[in-house]
Amino acid sequence: MLDFINPYYLQIGSFILINILLAISVYVPLSSGQLSLGSAGFMAVGAYTSALLTINFDLPIYIGVLAGACVAGILGIVIGIPSLRLTGVYLAIATLGLGEVIRVIFVNWDSVTKGSIGLTGVPQIGRELLTLVRGFGFQPDMIGLKNNQFVYLMVFLLLFIIVIATLLFFVRQQNSRVGRSFSSIQMDEKAAESMGINIMYFKVLAFAQGAFLAGLAGALFAHVMGYISPSDFSYHRAVEILIFTVFGGSEVIIGSIFGAVFLTLMPEVLRFVSEYRYIIYGIMLVILMAVRPQGILDIHLLGRFKGIKGSKGGAR
Amino acid sequence: MVLEIQNVSKNFGGIHALKNVSFSLKEGEIYGLIGPNGAGKTTMFNLITNIFEVSSGEIIFNNDNITGLKPHKITDKGICRTYQNIRLFSQMSALKNVMVGGHTRSSSGVFSSVFRTKAQRNEEAQLYEKAEELLELVGLLELKDTLAENLAYGQQRRLEIARALASNPKLLLLDEPAAGMNEKETDSLYDLIKLIQSKGITVLIIEHDMPLVMKLCDRITVLNFGEKLAEGTPIEIQNNEAVIEAYLGKEEEEEIA
Repeated sequence: MLDFINPYYLQIGSFILINILLAISVYVPLSSGQLSLGSAGFMAVGAYTSALLTINFDLPIYIGVLAGACVAGILGIVIGIPSLRLTGVYLAIATLGLGEVIRVIFVNWDSVTKGSIGLTGVPQIGRELLTLVRGFGFQPDMIGLKNNQFVYLMVFLLLFIIVIATLLFFVRQQNSRVGRSFSSIQMDEKAAESMGINIMYFKVLAFAQGAFLAGLAGALFAHVMGYISPSDFSYHRAVEILIFTVFGGSEVIIGSIFGAVFLTLMPEVLRFVSEYRYIIYGIMLVILMAVRPQGILDIHLLGRFKGIKGSKGGAR
Repeated sequence: MVLEIQNVSKNFGGIHALKNVSFSLKEGEIYGLIGPNGAGKTTMFNLITNIFEVSSGEIIFNNDNITGLKPHKITDKGICRTYQNIRLFSQMSALKNVMVGGHTRSSSGVFSSVFRTKAQRNEEAQLYEKAEELLELVGLLELKDTLAENLAYGQQRRLEIARALASNPKLLLLDEPAAGMNEKETDSLYDLIKLIQSKGITVLIIEHDMPLVMKLCDRITVLNFGEKLAEGTPIEIQNNEAVIEAYLGKEEEEEIA
């Protein structure tokens, strides 16, 4: 019974949800004109903070995750302020460098992080939830689920709720005074400033929100996987996250979501062509960037879907 | 005095863009700033809004020394400007552009926006209403949902004025608002600026369209090579020898002599 609840699909679903958070962590600073490639680094900070707190101090997972996201967010403020001087590709290079620095620190800080071997035995959200519900006398087989089905389902649902809450947060923010400030800074920083917008405040805010979100995603990643190592947060991860946003459409929040879903599924769907799948994936990206540099979804396309004028295209 | 420019100078390296310029604006007047290209008119705007820092001198706004204040704080005090080369938020609708202009007159932050508090919703509704009002004033209400980049040139200029007005300025700086406009558009611009004046807003305007300037302005300052050449009413300026010389050049014999 309920065999369709397949742990393999649920796990891919969970990765998609974490990747959506990561894609939004690129989108938010970008919506204020800041191209940050530091998401992998902030993700590492969130993951290690939460993992170390829960392993070494037996803190509950939710406190670890919150702490991980906050530490990443604070680091975002600390990095965001000096980065105000940098724009465009220079900011991208600096944040990419930051990510590598963070990774190298985790590799070399052996006594705490176990170096490149990584941390094992990170408490897993699914198992903890299972223990919790068993404490109330509930057994998964009471609703016809096997234990591992239940675990993966719970993880998926929890992540789903977090993603929905995050989306609600950012869509509402985008359609407010704060979001308008972000967009105006992105479109013309000088004009935004002469409209009375405190550029420094809003840019650091957007940057720190992105860092917080990447930290949150990293911490959740650690507690879903149960194992992390510095190679999870390498340069490749930074580029992968960037591609979610750029591929899906960096002008609208729905673009990031689409990019994360599509590009996480693609290698799985292309499994039947086995070793060629990354070649196909690569070719697709090259073609897209040549033909449609703004990404698949943009305000004009969304406007056409909704049958209204472009300006109401959701995120702007 | 709404605005007092006191002995303001600006050097870019060894170049004196402005040398000891002083003038002041009375409340409610339309004040023209004219002069040949490169005279330092736009530089003066950039100094007033502190996009460039003054090299020396002081700028007093409503008896408040605003020299060196951050640009966004200056807008907050009640000075707002338009740009010579239109700087709208091109991918935003006309209405949103004007709503951004209301930034300093609103205060919602992240949390009130995300939780849609009553105060935030009221504020948004007010901003929206005010923006519609201003779009109507500049005659763009039917185009409120059009992206700024899709508006015609003259419409973009008027939208910039509406956006600046949304900040409730006491002093409005207009940098060549009639540039590229045809006669009909210029006429409606005249009416618009007069209307703005009637609302008690002081206007400082840079403009090359002389008939418009002479018709519109109460007083005028002429700049030439960064120095103040003359100040006075339009009639006085039109009959000023030095001004005529700066615009038309000297008589040929005099130049040889």
